[in-house]
Amino acid sequence: MTANPLRNLARHPIRSGLALAGIAVTTAMLLDMVLLAGGIERSFERMLLGRGYQIRISPKGTLPFDTEATIPGIGGLVRAILADSGVVRAGAVLGTSVYARRGDTLVTLFGYGIDPASQAQYQPQEGADLAEGDTTGLLLSVPAARLIGVGLGDSVTLVGRLDPQVAAAAVERRLAVRGIVRWLYDYRGQPSVGAVIPVMQDLSRLRVEDRASAVVVQARTDAEAEQVSRRLQNRFPLLEINSVADLVAHFRERLVYFRQLSYILGTISLVVTVLLVSTLMTITVNERLGEIATLRAIGVARSSIVRGVMAEGTALTLVGGLLGIGLGTVTARYLDRILTSFPGLPAAISFFVPNPASLTVAAGVLLATGVIAGAYPALIAARAPIAATLRTEAT
Amino acid sequence: MNGEPVHALRGVSLEIRQGDYAAIVGPSGCGKSTLLQLLGGIDTPTAGSVELLGTRLEGMSDRELTRLRLTRIGFVFQRFHLLPVLTALENVELPMAEAGVARAERRTRARELLGYVGLEGRADHRATQLSGGEMQRVAIARALANRPAIILADEPTGELDAATGRGILDLFQRLAADGSTLVVVTHDERLAAEAGRVIHMLDGHIVDDVAGSAFRVPRSEGTPVEERSSGIEGAPSANAEPGTRNAER
Repeated sequence: MTANPLRNLARHPIRSGLALAGIAVTTAMLLDMVLLAGGIERSFERMLLGRGYQIRISPKGTLPFDTEATIPGIGGLVRAILADSGVVRAGAVLGTSVYARRGDTLVTLFGYGIDPASQAQYQPQEGADLAEGDTTGLLLSVPAARLIGVGLGDSVTLVGRLDPQVAAAAVERRLAVRGIVRWLYDYRGQPSVGAVIPVMQDLSRLRVEDRASAVVVQARTDAEAEQVSRRLQNRFPLLEINSVADLVAHFRERLVYFRQLSYILGTISLVVTVLLVSTLMTITVNERLGEIATLRAIGVARSSIVRGVMAEGTALTLVGGLLGIGLGTVTARYLDRILTSFPGLPAAISFFVPNPASLTVAAGVLLATGVIAGAYPALIAARAPIAATLRTEAT
Repeated sequence: MNGEPVHALRGVSLEIRQGDYAAIVGPSGCGKSTLLQLLGGIDTPTAGSVELLGTRLEGMSDRELTRLRLTRIGFVFQRFHLLPVLTALENVELPMAEAGVARAERRTRARELLGYVGLEGRADHRATQLSGGEMQRVAIARALANRPAIILADEPTGELDAATGRGILDLFQRLAADGSTLVVVTHDERLAAEAGRVIHMLDGHIVDDVAGSAFRVPRSEGTPVEERSSGIEGAPSANAEPGTRNAER
């Protein structure tokens, strides 16, 4: 018991190996649950702040792109917002369905109307970005380029949505592909295109009322974002104004069951770890009672025996935990790939996102689990009656 | 458990003197091992007293008793109980490490002790790689590690064949010749025959105490007798000044 705990574990390699495998699996589960519990929120927040815009403005009672509702007079609204001293940038964005001609057929696309100078929707990847007022340029996502069969410099004919209630032919615009971009809110494989707002407004017949889906606002600093958001809310009470923190809070509310499930499964994995370690250590201690009694007889202190048992339990948990981190990382990646392939979910969202603080807490809890699990067997070892045990051993 | 309490020992009065080589013999269940455990402070009498080196063991805390066993008493058991994951050298070092002896010092002494028991060439072998006789030699070296005042051995040849047991007997003879104080519980007639003093037990009583060549100790039933003993420094001997144990259990 006072020997190196790892050497003691090696006394029964198969048994210790099985226990380590069990602990590795429960640790992997714990790790995945910790990553999952807050991962999607952090990922969502990271996605929203990807371009540095901390505030979103949408029609009253909606969240951005939650519905097809739009805000009229968007140019005037953006100018009014920019008048706030705490605002650095503000840009409107319109989301709509459009079609592109591919030979004799039309393919359905998602269309973004953007203000290239103030946009939070994409990251340029290839070619050029749109210049402000470029009414003949187009940005494509890779899936859109593949779907339409075009590349940089090619021309694309976009066709507006045909509204059956409007007795007019659909609007068409021929645009040149300026760049390939990654649309931050697209789901995997989503074919999206983008043009300056007036172009998309024309295609969706929203130009007259100058409508857009949302406005993105960048405050001077992150710290000021909440104040700016409150000021804008007071100034525009008929609009929904949310800071990223507000949106994350909304998101968190929607995911509350998800989080609870993570906590429950995480707790179960901890309990299983305790049971595994304490069972193994109890068996081990009971097997070694003669050895322990001998050690006590030759003058090894109770505290040394207790330390030895607990060190062994902790070593078991640590080694199993390290294996579990590897296993958990692999399974998290695999599960993330499955979950993020759900239709309609932005590709930028991850379910399993590491967070140093929660990982540190989980590691601490796991370590404490090992120590706690070793406590009962250590107590058995410490209380083993020396004389009686030696008598039993001798028979 | 129901029924009458069983007294493993009754009215035992015994004094072990420095340099004694005493063998306790008797049939199984007569209380030999219990007497040894009382002498070693790993069991406590329900009545009577045990004294070692002028200190009464009754009333000592577990911590004090543990320390006493560590520093003043050397134990050898029938089932060697070495730590199998440690080498012979590390097993011998273990009590010294527990006593806080510096690493270099305890390593040197452990090697000396292994040399004394004839196992210098096996120092780095794990306990599981040793034969029964070798394991018992390591256990004896371990018992000597902290220069104890007395060595208590419980059936030290019980698990060994005759030839291997002979080697252990020779080692005990050598320890006795070097001035160690030894109390050995045994069924082994050869061992008893070589001891300087043979204490016969029956049904929890000492029925005879034959001083082999030096002396014969008188017994007085139920009367505690004060005992004093002190260890003499120097590997590998285990020496005790005159002492008496008087216990009932």
